[in-house]
Amino acid sequence: MIVYLKSGGALRERLRPDVDHYTRRLEVDGTPSLKEILDGLEIPLVFVAFAFVNGKFEHLDYRPADGETVTLQPPVAGG
Amino acid sequence: MALSEEELARYARQISLPGWGEEGQSRVSEARVLLAGAGGLGCAAATYLAAAGVGELVICDADRVEPSNLNRQTLYRDADVGKEKAPVAARRLSEINPHVAAKPLVARIDDGAPELAAGCDVIVDCLDNLEGRFALNRIAIATGIPLVFAAVGGLTAYVSFLRPPETPCLECFLPHLKAPEAPPVPGFFAGTIGSIEAAEAVKHILGVGETLSGRLLVIDEAEPRFDVVRIDRNPACHTCSSLHG
Repeated sequence: MIVYLKSGGALRERLRPDVDHYTRRLEVDGTPSLKEILDGLEIPLVFVAFAFVNGKFEHLDYRPADGETVTLQPPVAGG
Repeated sequence: MALSEEELARYARQISLPGWGEEGQSRVSEARVLLAGAGGLGCAAATYLAAAGVGELVICDADRVEPSNLNRQTLYRDADVGKEKAPVAARRLSEINPHVAAKPLVARIDDGAPELAAGCDVIVDCLDNLEGRFALNRIAIATGIPLVFAAVGGLTAYVSFLRPPETPCLECFLPHLKAPEAPPVPGFFAGTIGSIEAAEAVKHILGVGETLSGRLLVIDEAEPRFDVVRIDRNPACHTCSSLHG
């Protein structure tokens, strides 16, 4: 299935976007979790705080559906 | 509380906002807000809360002004470098609006004492570290006072209005990850996010509009992209689960 991962900030370079400045298109086997997808991309999980899909917050155990765009967000704590 | 002619003139441009009015201004003038942190977010949030006439601002910060603060912490000047932030901020806020009681509190929120928030209508998170935020979250839960959460790093920011059990608490959705220390924070971005925090606090005090209850505002200013994302309570959250019905 096809999954689109989108990210901004410090995550963007690690994601290596290929659709536009922020989005990477992935072809994955089965129904992996976001954690498993990120492991496959060798993106350390410490760089991803959470994700959201279709306007809903998701943790990294979320399993994207075919064609979904998942936006990944980095941890930030500054003020 | 009856407003003076001077106050009516000062607040005319907000009193005329539908849902605000003189009655709303009286509520704002009687409100008490705790600002946890007087840095980039805190200076902006405090400035606009003072300008709006929030009756009492408790400015809590244990740090001193450093040169690297001056790109974004707009309550401080070159001559303030080395001074404790809370008293300087309180003094500047009183100059912005003499009708506001700005009270400095040189203390760390990490101590977690609910007494810091005693009597407040809302707590505004302007901290610069995750563990302090979780301590503030516990204070908000212990006191039942709503918490405006925000965090910023680079050109990414998050904002929410937390009032468990109606909403998640911070630990329901934010993982205990280590965020970069001393991240880049342009002044215009800290100012934007601090202003949004002030808006959330005033909306709550007035009861107008909708706060970000049950939602997380996700901003990527680089793109730019603004998303409002639904966040749910975690029934297994070890911090607020005792509040769940």
